[in-house]
Amino acid sequence: MSRLNKILLTTCAVIIAIQFIQPARNKNGQVLSTDISKTVTIPDSVLDILMNACYDCHSNNTNYPWYSNIQPMGWLMANHIKQAKEELNFSEFNSYSHRRQVSKLDGIANSIKDDIMPLSSYKLMHKNANLNKDEKKRIINWAQQSGDSLSTKNYNRF
Amino acid sequence: MKTIIISIAIAVSILAACKSNRPAESKTTMTTSSIKEVKSSGPIEEIVTAYLELKNSLAEDNSANAAKAGTQLETAFENFDKTALAGAERKTFEDVEEDARENAEHIGENSGNIAHQREHFELLSKDIYDLVKAFGSGRVLYKFVCQSYNNGKGAFWISETNEIINPYLGESLPACGTKAEEI
Repeated sequence: MSRLNKILLTTCAVIIAIQFIQPARNKNGQVLSTDISKTVTIPDSVLDILMNACYDCHSNNTNYPWYSNIQPMGWLMANHIKQAKEELNFSEFNSYSHRRQVSKLDGIANSIKDDIMPLSSYKLMHKNANLNKDEKKRIINWAQQSGDSLSTKNYNRF
Repeated sequence: MKTIIISIAIAVSILAACKSNRPAESKTTMTTSSIKEVKSSGPIEEIVTAYLELKNSLAEDNSANAAKAGTQLETAFENFDKTALAGAERKTFEDVEEDARENAEHIGENSGNIAHQREHFELLSKDIYDLVKAFGSGRVLYKFVCQSYNNGKGAFWISETNEIINPYLGESLPACGTKAEEI
């Protein structure tokens, strides 16, 4: 067997082998008591956008695309989701301290405004996550208003 | 043998690809010479000092120094001895700490993106204000409000000088602000 053949064969073997290493799925059907909807009112028009453009990584429920079953795509995705949930997890929002909830809502408004989120790599594969001007505005207004009303519950802004 | 080496190489490169997605750990050692020394005393001295250095770096539009100060602030929280605090005091501290560390971390990781650093600085200022209010800083500090920042939403910062040097607008509009309080 030539050297090239050996390399090709090994590569194939490795690719096949890694398919058996499937990362745990980020899927939890129930709405937890720690869900954001328990603290913050979310109008349906906003919730739709959040679910389509944010929840795949920032909640305990990912809507997996077909290629997530192919490694190493699934691993990369699991890693992304883990990091994203550390930053902000809508399913656990209610367990954050009051201060952190206000910070997170501010952060949501800012990252949409600055086009940091949704990530461009995510938008590439998810057309729904390409938010238009109106959708962005809806999220920003909702996050700012919710943040303001949460914060005035305990203290004045200045 | 060769096959083993090749398969290891492939596995390693895949793992490396996963890892490279993580933001670079900013464990750079502080070059204190580049940052103005701001002395402070009190139980939260190190925290306040790092915050003020961050504030001054932002006022100078110096994103790299702001990032260093952000990392320093994170370390300051880490170094703080919480065992001396009990009950409600501890809860107050931990509440602020959780939020402030996260903000400081983001500032540390975003060298070159001063707009984003300032967004976190705004949240951080609230944290530090509450911390100083609760624990005292052992020195005179001033709270300034710039109303025109952020489309009229406004933001505040804490300063060690009575002079208005705006960390949000930097050198484009350093004088925006009114003194709101002496802490």
